[in-house]
Amino acid sequence: MTAFRAVVLEHFRRPRNRGPFADANGDAEGANTLCGDRIRVQVLVRDETVVEARFTADACALCIAAASLLTDGVRNRVRSDALRLDHVWLRAALEGDAPAGRERCVTLPLETLHRAIASASGD
Amino acid sequence: MKQLLPSLASELRDEQAVVVATLVSATGASSKKVGARMYVGASGRLIGGVTIGGCVDARVIEAADALIESGGRKLLAISLDDDEAMEIGLTCGGTVEVLIERARVDDPSDPVLASHERALAQLEAGEVAELPVALGDGRTFVDRMAPPTTLLIVGAGEIATFITRMARDLDMRTVVIDGRDRYATRERFPHADELRVGMPSEIVAGYPANAQTAAILVAHDYKYELPVLRALLRSDVGYLGMLGSKKRGAAVRELLKDEGFTEAELARVRTPIGLDLGGKAPAEVALSILAEVVAVRSGKRV
Repeated sequence: MTAFRAVVLEHFRRPRNRGPFADANGDAEGANTLCGDRIRVQVLVRDETVVEARFTADACALCIAAASLLTDGVRNRVRSDALRLDHVWLRAALEGDAPAGRERCVTLPLETLHRAIASASGD
Repeated sequence: MKQLLPSLASELRDEQAVVVATLVSATGASSKKVGARMYVGASGRLIGGVTIGGCVDARVIEAADALIESGGRKLLAISLDDDEAMEIGLTCGGTVEVLIERARVDDPSDPVLASHERALAQLEAGEVAELPVALGDGRTFVDRMAPPTTLLIVGAGEIATFITRMARDLDMRTVVIDGRDRYATRERFPHADELRVGMPSEIVAGYPANAQTAAILVAHDYKYELPVLRALLRSDVGYLGMLGSKKRGAAVRELLKDEGFTEAELARVRTPIGLDLGGKAPAEVALSILAEVVAVRSGKRV
Protein backbone atom coordinates (compact mmCIF):
# COMPACT_ATOMS: atom_id res chain seq x y z
CA MET A 1 0.00 0.00 0.00
CA THR A 2 2.85 2.33 0.79
CA ALA A 3 4.50 1.73 -2.58
CA PHE A 4 1.18 2.22 -4.36
CA ARG A 5 0.64 5.52 -2.58
CA ALA A 6 4.15 6.65 -3.37
CA VAL A 7 3.90 6.16 -7.13
CA VAL A 8 0.46 7.77 -7.24
CA LEU A 9 1.59 10.76 -5.21
CA GLU A 10 4.75 11.15 -7.24
CA HIS A 11 2.87 11.22 -10.55
CA PHE A 12 0.09 13.39 -9.12
CA ARG A 13 2.48 16.02 -7.82
CA ARG A 14 4.87 15.85 -10.75
CA PRO A 15 2.80 14.55 -13.64
CA ARG A 16 4.64 13.72 -16.84
CA ASN A 17 3.28 14.95 -20.15
CA ARG A 18 0.70 17.32 -18.72
CA GLY A 19 -0.56 20.10 -20.96
CA PRO A 20 -1.67 20.35 -24.57
CA PHE A 21 0.52 20.24 -27.66
CA ALA A 22 -0.22 21.80 -31.00
CA ASP A 23 0.78 19.16 -33.55
CA ALA A 24 -1.32 16.28 -32.23
CA ASN A 25 -3.16 14.28 -34.87
CA GLY A 26 -5.39 12.35 -32.51
CA ASP A 27 -7.33 13.30 -29.41
CA ALA A 28 -10.16 12.19 -27.20
CA GLU A 29 -11.97 13.41 -24.13
CA GLY A 30 -13.40 11.38 -21.32
CA ALA A 31 -15.45 12.15 -18.25
CA ASN A 32 -16.80 10.48 -15.19
CA THR A 33 -19.99 12.41 -14.84
CA LEU A 34 -20.64 11.22 -11.30
CA CYS A 35 -17.39 12.17 -9.61
CA GLY A 36 -16.48 14.90 -12.11
CA ASP A 37 -13.12 13.64 -13.41
CA ARG A 38 -12.43 15.13 -16.82
CA ILE A 39 -9.51 14.27 -19.09
CA ARG A 40 -8.34 15.01 -22.62
CA VAL A 41 -5.58 12.96 -24.23
CA GLN A 42 -3.72 14.06 -27.35
CA VAL A 43 -1.37 11.91 -29.38
CA LEU A 44 0.90 12.25 -32.38
CA VAL A 45 1.07 9.06 -34.40
CA ARG A 46 3.62 8.87 -37.23
CA ASP A 47 4.23 5.81 -39.39
CA GLU A 48 1.91 3.87 -37.09
CA THR A 49 4.06 4.71 -34.08
CA VAL A 50 2.95 6.85 -31.14
CA VAL A 51 5.56 9.60 -31.15
CA GLU A 52 4.03 11.81 -28.49
CA ALA A 53 1.19 11.61 -25.97
CA ARG A 54 0.05 14.29 -23.56
CA PHE A 55 -2.96 14.91 -21.37
CA THR A 56 -4.93 17.69 -19.71
CA ALA A 57 -7.14 16.84 -16.75
CA ASP A 58 -9.19 18.25 -13.93
CA ALA A 59 -9.22 15.00 -12.07
CA CYS A 60 -8.29 13.12 -8.90
CA ALA A 61 -4.77 12.00 -7.99
CA LEU A 62 -5.35 8.43 -9.15
CA CYS A 63 -6.65 9.51 -12.54
CA ILE A 64 -3.79 11.96 -13.06
CA ALA A 65 -1.18 9.42 -11.97
CA ALA A 66 -2.63 6.84 -14.35
CA ALA A 67 -2.67 9.37 -17.21
CA SER A 68 0.92 10.35 -16.44
CA LEU A 69 2.12 6.74 -16.48
CA LEU A 70 0.12 5.85 -19.57
CA THR A 71 1.31 8.78 -21.66
CA ASP A 72 4.89 7.91 -20.70
CA GLY A 73 4.40 4.19 -21.35
CA VAL A 74 2.76 4.53 -24.72
CA ARG A 75 5.50 6.60 -26.34
CA ASN A 76 7.38 4.89 -29.19
CA ARG A 77 5.01 1.95 -29.29
CA VAL A 78 3.46 0.95 -32.57
CA ARG A 79 -0.23 1.67 -32.64
CA SER A 80 -1.39 -1.94 -32.36
CA ASP A 81 0.90 -2.47 -29.39
CA ALA A 82 -0.21 0.79 -27.78
CA LEU A 83 -3.82 -0.25 -28.05
CA ARG A 84 -2.97 -3.41 -26.11
CA LEU A 85 -1.97 -1.44 -23.02
CA ASP A 86 -4.57 -2.55 -20.52
CA HIS A 87 -5.49 -2.60 -16.87
CA VAL A 88 -2.90 -5.31 -16.21
CA TRP A 89 -0.15 -3.02 -17.52
CA LEU A 90 -1.60 -0.15 -15.56
CA ARG A 91 -1.84 -2.21 -12.38
CA ALA A 92 1.86 -2.98 -12.65
CA ALA A 93 2.71 0.65 -13.36
CA LEU A 94 0.66 1.82 -10.39
CA GLU A 95 2.15 -0.96 -8.28
CA GLY A 96 -1.25 -2.16 -7.18
CA ASP A 97 -4.95 -2.19 -7.83
CA ALA A 98 -7.09 0.88 -7.57
CA PRO A 99 -8.88 1.00 -4.23
CA ALA A 100 -12.34 -0.57 -4.19
CA GLY A 101 -14.85 1.73 -5.84
CA ARG A 102 -12.14 3.76 -7.56
CA GLU A 103 -11.55 1.51 -10.58
CA ARG A 104 -13.09 4.06 -12.94
CA CYS A 105 -10.42 6.57 -11.90
CA VAL A 106 -7.79 4.49 -13.73
CA THR A 107 -9.90 3.04 -16.55
CA LEU A 108 -11.02 6.54 -17.63
CA PRO A 109 -7.53 7.67 -18.77
CA LEU A 110 -6.85 4.23 -20.29
CA GLU A 111 -10.02 4.29 -22.38
CA THR A 112 -9.46 7.90 -23.36
CA LEU A 113 -5.90 7.14 -24.48
CA HIS A 114 -7.14 4.24 -26.61
CA ARG A 115 -9.73 6.46 -28.27
CA ALA A 116 -7.14 9.18 -28.93
CA ILE A 117 -4.78 6.67 -30.57
CA ALA A 118 -7.59 5.14 -32.59
CA SER A 119 -8.59 8.60 -33.84
CA ALA A 120 -5.08 9.55 -35.02
CA SER A 121 -4.60 9.79 -38.77
CA GLY A 122 -1.14 8.26 -38.47
CA ASP A 123 0.34 9.87 -41.61
CA MET B 1 -29.32 44.88 -14.30
CA LYS B 2 -32.34 45.65 -12.20
CA GLN B 3 -30.58 47.85 -9.69
CA LEU B 4 -27.98 49.47 -11.89
CA LEU B 5 -30.07 50.39 -14.86
CA PRO B 6 -33.47 48.90 -15.58
CA SER B 7 -34.55 48.83 -19.19
CA LEU B 8 -37.06 51.58 -19.86
CA ALA B 9 -38.08 49.89 -23.08
CA SER B 10 -38.83 46.50 -21.58
CA GLU B 11 -39.19 46.62 -17.80
CA LEU B 12 -41.20 49.86 -17.93
CA ARG B 13 -42.87 49.36 -21.31
CA ASP B 14 -46.37 49.47 -19.79
CA GLU B 15 -45.87 53.07 -18.77
CA GLN B 16 -46.74 55.81 -21.22
CA ALA B 17 -44.15 58.07 -19.65
CA VAL B 18 -41.48 57.66 -17.03
CA VAL B 19 -39.54 60.25 -15.09
CA VAL B 20 -35.92 59.33 -14.54
CA ALA B 21 -34.49 60.94 -11.40
CA THR B 22 -30.70 60.93 -11.08
CA LEU B 23 -28.69 61.95 -8.04
CA VAL B 24 -26.09 64.19 -9.70
CA SER B 25 -24.38 65.79 -6.73
CA ALA B 26 -24.30 65.41 -2.98
CA THR B 27 -22.61 67.20 -0.14
CA GLY B 28 -22.61 66.06 3.45
CA ALA B 29 -23.68 62.61 4.50
CA SER B 30 -25.56 61.44 1.42
CA SER B 31 -26.81 57.91 1.84
CA LYS B 32 -26.26 56.92 -1.79
CA LYS B 33 -23.56 57.52 -4.34
CA VAL B 34 -24.10 60.01 -7.14
CA GLY B 35 -25.61 58.23 -10.09
CA ALA B 36 -28.34 56.63 -7.95
CA ARG B 37 -31.61 56.58 -9.87
CA MET B 38 -35.28 56.40 -9.28
CA TYR B 39 -37.92 55.76 -11.92
CA VAL B 40 -41.38 57.18 -11.47
CA GLY B 41 -44.01 55.84 -13.86
CA ALA B 42 -47.13 57.61 -15.03
CA SER B 43 -49.11 54.86 -13.31
CA GLY B 44 -47.48 55.74 -9.99
CA ARG B 45 -44.99 52.87 -10.13
CA LEU B 46 -41.66 53.43 -8.36
CA ILE B 47 -38.36 51.66 -9.06
CA GLY B 48 -35.14 52.45 -7.21
CA GLY B 49 -34.45 55.53 -5.15
CA VAL B 50 -32.05 58.47 -5.04
CA THR B 51 -31.65 58.17 -1.28
CA ILE B 52 -32.19 55.32 1.13
CA GLY B 53 -35.62 56.69 1.93
CA GLY B 54 -37.27 59.41 3.88
CA CYS B 55 -38.24 62.84 2.78
CA VAL B 56 -35.91 63.39 -0.19
CA ASP B 57 -37.39 60.62 -2.29
CA ALA B 58 -40.87 61.87 -1.38
CA ARG B 59 -40.04 65.33 -2.69
CA VAL B 60 -38.54 63.89 -5.87
CA ILE B 61 -41.65 61.80 -6.47
CA GLU B 62 -43.85 64.83 -6.03
CA ALA B 63 -41.84 66.79 -8.56
CA ALA B 64 -41.72 63.81 -10.92
CA ASP B 65 -45.50 63.43 -10.84
CA ALA B 66 -45.80 67.04 -12.00
CA LEU B 67 -43.21 66.47 -14.75
CA ILE B 68 -45.14 63.46 -16.11
CA GLU B 69 -47.82 65.94 -17.14
CA SER B 70 -45.72 68.89 -18.22
CA GLY B 71 -42.75 67.04 -19.75
CA GLY B 72 -39.19 68.35 -19.91
CA ARG B 73 -36.56 68.24 -17.22
CA LYS B 74 -35.75 69.97 -13.96
CA LEU B 75 -32.82 70.16 -11.56
CA LEU B 76 -33.91 69.90 -7.94
CA ALA B 77 -31.68 71.14 -5.11
CA ILE B 78 -32.79 69.61 -1.85
CA SER B 79 -31.44 70.35 1.59
CA LEU B 80 -31.10 67.39 3.93
CA ASP B 81 -31.41 69.68 6.96
CA ASP B 82 -35.00 70.00 7.95
CA ASP B 83 -35.93 71.86 11.07
CA GLU B 84 -37.80 69.07 12.75
CA ALA B 85 -35.03 66.53 12.24
CA MET B 86 -32.47 69.12 13.35
CA GLU B 87 -34.46 69.66 16.54
CA ILE B 88 -34.33 66.00 17.56
CA GLY B 89 -30.80 65.43 16.33
CA LEU B 90 -31.60 63.06 13.46
CA THR B 91 -30.58 65.14 10.49
CA CYS B 92 -28.17 63.85 7.87
CA GLY B 93 -26.94 67.29 6.90
CA GLY B 94 -25.94 68.44 3.45
CA THR B 95 -27.53 69.09 0.08
CA VAL B 96 -28.33 66.92 -2.88
CA GLU B 97 -29.07 67.77 -6.48
CA VAL B 98 -31.42 65.53 -8.39
CA LEU B 99 -32.08 65.86 -12.09
CA ILE B 100 -35.50 64.69 -13.20
CA GLU B 101 -36.24 64.06 -16.89
CA ARG B 102 -39.33 62.73 -18.58
CA ALA B 103 -38.93 59.89 -21.07
CA ARG B 104 -41.55 58.72 -23.56
CA VAL B 105 -41.23 54.96 -23.36
CA ASP B 106 -43.20 54.38 -26.55
CA ASP B 107 -40.97 56.69 -28.62
CA PRO B 108 -37.63 55.11 -29.60
CA SER B 109 -36.31 58.52 -30.65
CA ASP B 110 -36.81 59.95 -27.17
CA PRO B 111 -33.30 61.08 -26.17
CA VAL B 112 -33.59 59.95 -22.53
CA LEU B 113 -34.84 56.53 -23.58
CA ALA B 114 -32.18 56.18 -26.29
CA SER B 115 -29.23 57.07 -24.05
CA HIS B 116 -30.53 54.74 -21.35
CA GLU B 117 -30.90 51.78 -23.66
CA ARG B 118 -27.48 52.43 -25.21
CA ALA B 119 -25.83 52.39 -21.77
CA LEU B 120 -27.74 49.27 -20.82
CA ALA B 121 -26.56 47.47 -23.96
CA GLN B 122 -22.95 48.40 -23.13
CA LEU B 123 -23.29 47.02 -19.59
CA GLU B 124 -24.87 43.82 -20.84
CA ALA B 125 -21.96 43.42 -23.24
CA GLY B 126 -19.59 43.67 -20.26
CA GLU B 127 -18.37 47.14 -21.23
CA VAL B 128 -18.05 50.32 -19.20
CA ALA B 129 -21.06 52.51 -19.92
CA GLU B 130 -21.28 56.27 -19.83
CA LEU B 131 -24.56 58.04 -19.37
CA PRO B 132 -24.14 61.81 -19.71
CA VAL B 133 -26.91 64.14 -18.61
CA ALA B 134 -26.89 67.89 -19.21
CA LEU B 135 -27.98 69.71 -16.08
CA GLY B 136 -29.27 72.73 -17.96
CA ASP B 137 -26.96 75.21 -16.27
CA GLY B 138 -23.89 74.53 -18.39
CA ARG B 139 -22.79 71.54 -16.35
CA THR B 140 -22.96 67.93 -17.56
CA PHE B 141 -23.08 65.00 -15.18
CA VAL B 142 -21.48 61.88 -16.64
CA ASP B 143 -22.36 58.66 -14.91
CA ARG B 144 -19.62 56.13 -15.62
CA MET B 145 -20.85 52.65 -14.78
CA ALA B 146 -18.68 49.58 -14.47
CA PRO B 147 -20.15 46.41 -15.91
CA PRO B 148 -21.76 44.08 -13.41
CA THR B 149 -19.68 41.62 -11.44
CA THR B 150 -19.52 38.20 -13.04
CA LEU B 151 -19.39 35.30 -10.61
CA LEU B 152 -17.56 32.25 -11.93
CA ILE B 153 -18.95 29.59 -9.61
CA VAL B 154 -16.97 26.34 -9.76
CA GLY B 155 -18.95 23.44 -8.34
CA ALA B 156 -22.66 23.06 -9.03
CA GLY B 157 -23.61 21.94 -5.54
CA GLU B 158 -26.23 23.23 -3.17
CA ILE B 159 -24.36 26.36 -2.08
CA ALA B 160 -24.09 27.37 -5.73
CA THR B 161 -27.86 27.11 -6.17
CA PHE B 162 -28.37 29.69 -3.42
CA ILE B 163 -25.63 31.95 -4.76
CA THR B 164 -27.31 32.14 -8.16
CA ARG B 165 -30.65 33.01 -6.57
CA MET B 166 -29.27 35.78 -4.36
CA ALA B 167 -26.88 37.17 -6.98
CA ARG B 168 -29.75 38.16 -9.25
CA ASP B 169 -30.89 40.81 -6.80
CA LEU B 170 -27.34 42.09 -6.50
CA ASP B 171 -27.05 42.69 -10.25
CA MET B 172 -24.36 40.03 -10.57
CA ARG B 173 -24.06 37.71 -13.55
CA THR B 174 -23.60 34.07 -12.64
CA VAL B 175 -21.77 31.34 -14.54
CA VAL B 176 -22.04 27.89 -12.98
CA ILE B 177 -19.23 25.56 -13.95
CA ASP B 178 -18.87 21.84 -13.32
CA GLY B 179 -17.59 18.70 -15.00
CA ARG B 180 -20.78 16.85 -14.11
CA ASP B 181 -23.78 17.33 -16.33
CA ARG B 182 -26.07 15.83 -13.71
CA TYR B 183 -25.28 18.71 -11.40
CA ALA B 184 -25.07 21.72 -13.68
CA THR B 185 -28.63 21.53 -14.97
CA ARG B 186 -31.14 24.25 -15.74
CA GLU B 187 -33.60 22.56 -13.43
CA ARG B 188 -31.23 23.01 -10.50
CA PHE B 189 -30.11 26.48 -11.60
CA PRO B 190 -33.08 28.34 -13.07
CA HIS B 191 -31.53 31.70 -12.15
CA ALA B 192 -28.01 31.18 -13.51
CA ASP B 193 -27.06 33.31 -16.48
CA GLU B 194 -24.89 30.54 -17.89
CA LEU B 195 -24.32 26.85 -17.18
CA ARG B 196 -21.07 25.35 -18.43
CA VAL B 197 -20.17 21.67 -18.32
CA GLY B 198 -16.61 20.72 -19.17
CA MET B 199 -13.13 21.00 -17.76
CA PRO B 200 -13.51 23.75 -15.16
CA SER B 201 -9.94 25.08 -15.43
CA GLU B 202 -10.34 25.57 -19.19
CA ILE B 203 -13.76 27.14 -18.83
CA VAL B 204 -12.66 29.73 -16.25
CA ALA B 205 -9.61 30.58 -18.37
CA GLY B 206 -11.95 31.49 -21.22
CA TYR B 207 -13.61 34.34 -19.30
CA PRO B 208 -12.22 37.86 -18.97
CA ALA B 209 -10.21 37.99 -15.75
CA ASN B 210 -10.64 41.54 -14.48
CA ALA B 211 -11.71 43.44 -11.39
CA GLN B 212 -15.34 42.71 -12.21
CA THR B 213 -14.78 38.96 -12.14
CA ALA B 214 -15.17 36.99 -8.92
CA ALA B 215 -14.14 33.34 -8.84
CA ILE B 216 -15.98 31.31 -6.23
CA LEU B 217 -14.72 27.77 -5.72
CA VAL B 218 -17.39 25.77 -3.94
CA ALA B 219 -16.72 22.31 -5.37
CA HIS B 220 -14.83 21.39 -2.21
CA ASP B 221 -12.79 18.97 -4.33
CA TYR B 222 -9.10 19.35 -5.06
CA LYS B 223 -9.58 17.90 -8.52
CA TYR B 224 -11.18 21.21 -9.51
CA GLU B 225 -9.58 23.54 -6.99
CA LEU B 226 -5.96 22.92 -7.97
CA PRO B 227 -6.35 23.30 -11.74
CA VAL B 228 -8.73 26.26 -11.42
CA LEU B 229 -6.36 28.03 -9.03
CA ARG B 230 -3.46 27.35 -11.41
CA ALA B 231 -5.51 29.05 -14.11
CA LEU B 232 -6.50 32.06 -11.98
CA LEU B 233 -3.78 32.80 -9.44
CA ARG B 234 -1.81 34.91 -11.90
CA SER B 235 -4.87 36.49 -13.44
CA ASP B 236 -6.49 39.81 -12.61
CA VAL B 237 -9.72 38.47 -11.11
CA GLY B 238 -11.04 40.83 -8.47
CA TYR B 239 -12.00 38.13 -6.01
CA LEU B 240 -10.80 34.58 -5.51
CA GLY B 241 -12.29 32.46 -2.74
CA MET B 242 -12.35 28.75 -1.96
CA LEU B 243 -14.67 26.79 0.28
CA GLY B 244 -12.85 24.92 3.01
CA SER B 245 -11.23 25.19 6.40
CA LYS B 246 -8.03 27.10 7.12
CA LYS B 247 -6.21 23.77 7.35
CA ARG B 248 -7.48 22.61 4.00
CA GLY B 249 -6.67 25.98 2.46
CA ALA B 250 -3.13 25.75 3.82
CA ALA B 251 -2.73 22.27 2.30
CA VAL B 252 -3.87 23.47 -1.11
CA ARG B 253 -1.54 26.48 -0.91
CA GLU B 254 1.34 24.18 0.02
CA LEU B 255 0.78 22.01 -3.05
CA LEU B 256 0.70 25.08 -5.28
CA LYS B 257 3.73 26.59 -3.59
CA ASP B 258 5.67 23.48 -4.59
CA GLU B 259 4.69 24.24 -8.18
CA GLY B 260 6.27 27.68 -8.02
CA PHE B 261 3.44 29.98 -7.00
CA THR B 262 4.60 32.77 -4.71
CA GLU B 263 3.27 33.60 -1.24
CA ALA B 264 1.78 36.81 -2.61
CA GLU B 265 -0.06 34.94 -5.34
CA LEU B 266 -1.32 32.31 -2.91
CA ALA B 267 -2.42 34.96 -0.41
CA ARG B 268 -5.08 36.02 -2.90
CA VAL B 269 -7.09 32.87 -2.20
CA ARG B 270 -9.66 33.57 0.49
CA THR B 271 -10.05 30.45 2.60
CA PRO B 272 -12.33 30.04 4.47
CA ILE B 273 -14.45 31.78 1.87
CA GLY B 274 -16.98 34.43 2.91
CA LEU B 275 -17.48 36.72 5.86
CA ASP B 276 -17.85 34.91 9.16
CA LEU B 277 -21.57 35.29 9.81
CA GLY B 278 -21.71 32.13 11.88
CA GLY B 279 -24.18 30.22 9.70
CA LYS B 280 -23.45 26.77 8.29
CA ALA B 281 -26.54 26.07 6.20
CA PRO B 282 -25.98 26.28 2.41
CA ALA B 283 -28.05 29.46 2.07
CA GLU B 284 -26.18 31.05 4.97
CA VAL B 285 -22.82 30.16 3.44
CA ALA B 286 -24.01 31.58 0.11
CA LEU B 287 -24.97 34.81 1.86
CA SER B 288 -21.58 35.07 3.58
CA ILE B 289 -19.79 34.56 0.25
CA LEU B 290 -21.83 37.21 -1.53
CA ALA B 291 -21.35 39.57 1.42
CA GLU B 292 -17.59 39.20 1.04
CA VAL B 293 -17.75 39.75 -2.73
CA VAL B 294 -19.75 42.95 -2.15
CA ALA B 295 -17.30 44.12 0.53
CA VAL B 296 -14.28 43.52 -1.72
CA ARG B 297 -16.00 45.18 -4.66
CA SER B 298 -16.73 48.20 -2.45
CA GLY B 299 -13.11 48.47 -1.41
CA LYS B 300 -13.57 47.31 2.19
CA ARG B 301 -10.66 45.59 3.90
CA VAL B 302 -12.05 42.20 4.88
